[in-house]
Amino acid sequence: MARTSIAVVFAGSGGSGAMSAGAVLLRAAAHAGYYGLMTQLFGAQVRGGESASLVQVSIDPIESQPDRYDLFVALDWEKVEQFAAEIPLDEASVIIADPQAGTVPAGIAKSKGRVVPVSMSDPAATKLERGVQGRRVNMFAAGLVGALVGLNPSDLQAAAEAVFSDKGADIIAANAKGAAAGIAAAATLTLNARLDPPKPAARWLISGNQAIALGALRGGVRFVGCYPITPATDLVEWLAPHLTALGGRLVLGEDELASVNMTLGAAYGGTPAMTVTAGPGFSLMVETLGLAVAAEVPFVLVDVMRAGPSTGIASKTEQSDVNLAIYGAHGDAPRVVMAPISVADCITTAEYAVYVAESLQTPVIVLSDQALGQATTVIDPSDKRPPPLKRRLNGVAPATPFKRYAIGTDPVTPMPLPGTPGFEWVAEGLTHNEAGLPASGAGAHVAQINKRAKKIARFDPGPYWGETWGEGDTVVLAFGSTIGPAREAARRLAASGHQVRIVALRVLSPVPMEALARALSGARRIIVVEQNHGAQLYHHLIGQKAIPPSAESVARPGPLPFRPSEIASYVV
Amino acid sequence: MTDTLTQSTTAEPHCVYAAKDFSSGAHPVWCPGCGDYGVLASLERALAKHGRPPHEVVMVSGIGCSSRLPGYMSTYGFHGVHGRGLAVGTGLKLTRPDLEVIVVGGDGDGYSIGGNHFIHACRRNVDMLYVVMDNRVYGMTKGQPSPTTEPDWDSEIAPGGIGLRPFNPLAVAIASGANYVARGFSGDPNGLADLIVDAIRWPGFAFIEVLSPCVTFRPEQMHWKKMVRPSSLSIEQDRAAATALVLGDDGFSLGVLYRGDRAPVAPPIKPQISVADVEREFALRA
Repeated sequence: MARTSIAVVFAGSGGSGAMSAGAVLLRAAAHAGYYGLMTQLFGAQVRGGESASLVQVSIDPIESQPDRYDLFVALDWEKVEQFAAEIPLDEASVIIADPQAGTVPAGIAKSKGRVVPVSMSDPAATKLERGVQGRRVNMFAAGLVGALVGLNPSDLQAAAEAVFSDKGADIIAANAKGAAAGIAAAATLTLNARLDPPKPAARWLISGNQAIALGALRGGVRFVGCYPITPATDLVEWLAPHLTALGGRLVLGEDELASVNMTLGAAYGGTPAMTVTAGPGFSLMVETLGLAVAAEVPFVLVDVMRAGPSTGIASKTEQSDVNLAIYGAHGDAPRVVMAPISVADCITTAEYAVYVAESLQTPVIVLSDQALGQATTVIDPSDKRPPPLKRRLNGVAPATPFKRYAIGTDPVTPMPLPGTPGFEWVAEGLTHNEAGLPASGAGAHVAQINKRAKKIARFDPGPYWGETWGEGDTVVLAFGSTIGPAREAARRLAASGHQVRIVALRVLSPVPMEALARALSGARRIIVVEQNHGAQLYHHLIGQKAIPPSAESVARPGPLPFRPSEIASYVV
Repeated sequence: MTDTLTQSTTAEPHCVYAAKDFSSGAHPVWCPGCGDYGVLASLERALAKHGRPPHEVVMVSGIGCSSRLPGYMSTYGFHGVHGRGLAVGTGLKLTRPDLEVIVVGGDGDGYSIGGNHFIHACRRNVDMLYVVMDNRVYGMTKGQPSPTTEPDWDSEIAPGGIGLRPFNPLAVAIASGANYVARGFSGDPNGLADLIVDAIRWPGFAFIEVLSPCVTFRPEQMHWKKMVRPSSLSIEQDRAAATALVLGDDGFSLGVLYRGDRAPVAPPIKPQISVADVEREFALRA
């Protein structure tokens, strides 16, 4: 009997090629017309730690980690036990391992999954040769699994070539040979792995981090200041050459203090600008967040959240920077905070964030997370784009002095570009008067605080506030990478007769009160699901009176992703 | 030294601006007698002489007495947070090479909280000017020792002296790659104005350390006017010799101390692709 989806793990020590194996399987399946999602699991070590790619392939879209894995392929057993707890297996799982690699470790064996021995390396090889060859079994494994699920050899070989396109001809040839051997070995196995035929369409293969970068480019970002930080680095590595080719510039700052201030400098000059970081870097950037609010200079800050506090777990996900994003900074410093709804929505949210920042002359924070950012997935690209909003540059005759921070009916005041004659103004972080000169009196202070608060309070995201699915009177309210598993939980509950409504917030702050109230209307039960210990979003929504005190909170820290079954079992 | 570097890249403009055209008219917060008045006057004279209109100039600063300067000029300006002026200036100049970007600040702002940015701005060699008004004290917070304070200077927070070797900004600038390094004195506004014009026109990152006395917390600095003198040497290109010069002098020799010929960061290239081209990279076959 064929199946509609399969969840596969390639695991080994760092350097074993587990990521490449997953990438080849995903790309081949995507080319064949399947949907797919791959996430990465690795330890802190640069080389030699544990490493696994988690790949799902399906005839339907996938936006969630699975409850369990169908197939576990061990490239070696050296470090795998270190994250056995993060890879749920059961007695229906199949464990494929090379007998020459040793016995199945207890942490994996306790799943009682069926072990299928497959010789991936040469059985006659010495220990030394195995040490060298061990690095080559990943393409055997990718070929084997690809053939088992029913992908054709040419798709697998083309994917291997694409994944290793920057390598030399000898490596590509060796990989092709390994994949061919794996494909051949599949014929000797009898496993229930074959997938139903796909429903091909014109789709994209993209990661959440790439999608954020693309959205920012669509929005007009042409300057990025950044500093390397996991799990945001691959975003800026992908962006750097593209931004240069588009006539923009990416600058690697000496630290996050520099990168965010460079970003602000570029933005002041009129170039839509963005900085990209994760929690520890975001903490450093907070002083400049306050400056951007006070001086009313727009920029986008992307935080690819990881487990915190402090250095936390650099490579693993958590949604625990909500408080920092909404409230971080001394003084009253209102800003806009939004989160992407899915990997595909990273494009929309990032583009929208640029427009909101530019049109409100305010920092906008995009809270992505590792589970979204480093998920590579097949998406149906959408032509639907947020309507462009631009910075308000002029519109008034020059006054003497020009009042950059004028108090009037519209709290968004013209922000002429430097180089414009007659409008010379100073971006000012001190409390200032309407002309932008420092002032320490109560009048100017209160007037300017009110001006900035009004900009944010008047912000109406319209249809971009968030999304809802389903009609039930039980509501699961979520954001970011928690939305995917919540939606999957709702699908399963619907299949068993429980209607659950999913409310996904894109704009976390200011809370889109009216839109959220409409989305929640008729709800008998509201459950806020988030991946942090302190129930940060829940308390934000309670504090804003956006949800009733009877609302329930499901809040737990990372780094384990929410699985659909976890959310479903809480709901019923 | 190549001819292109020794000559100004633009012809001497017809002087259509007066120093007062660069003044905002706002009254500075500085104490009477503060050296920063002299620096402000020098900048106004220098910009008038340089000849670019006020709207094409951006004064960028951090926090401290001297960082208040952008508000006193009629140019565009950016008064940011403590120590980060160079980073703001870098982002601005890299995206708007058409603007004249001048970063100003004090010794605490530039050498302590902003010290790392100072080093890397020198390395990066973006074509802009950095003017530090050094009075060897935190004035706005009323008299704490800064990185350039003498080790035995007595203060409430460090009775008997801070006991640390003073930071040598000129040696750090030369070692880190600044392309133009000079020392000026606020009591010599004409000489300082000439230095500023020279530094603006020199390609790459130009750094002028200005001795700017704090008459309130360091009244003994009023004697600086008797101690300063023109430097007997000005080194071109040879960083080792220039480092020896600035490490060996007493800190009161004025003028251009080092000029290099590193090429500044190039402006962004013209777009080679479109966003639609980028999107096609993600497309799978239909």
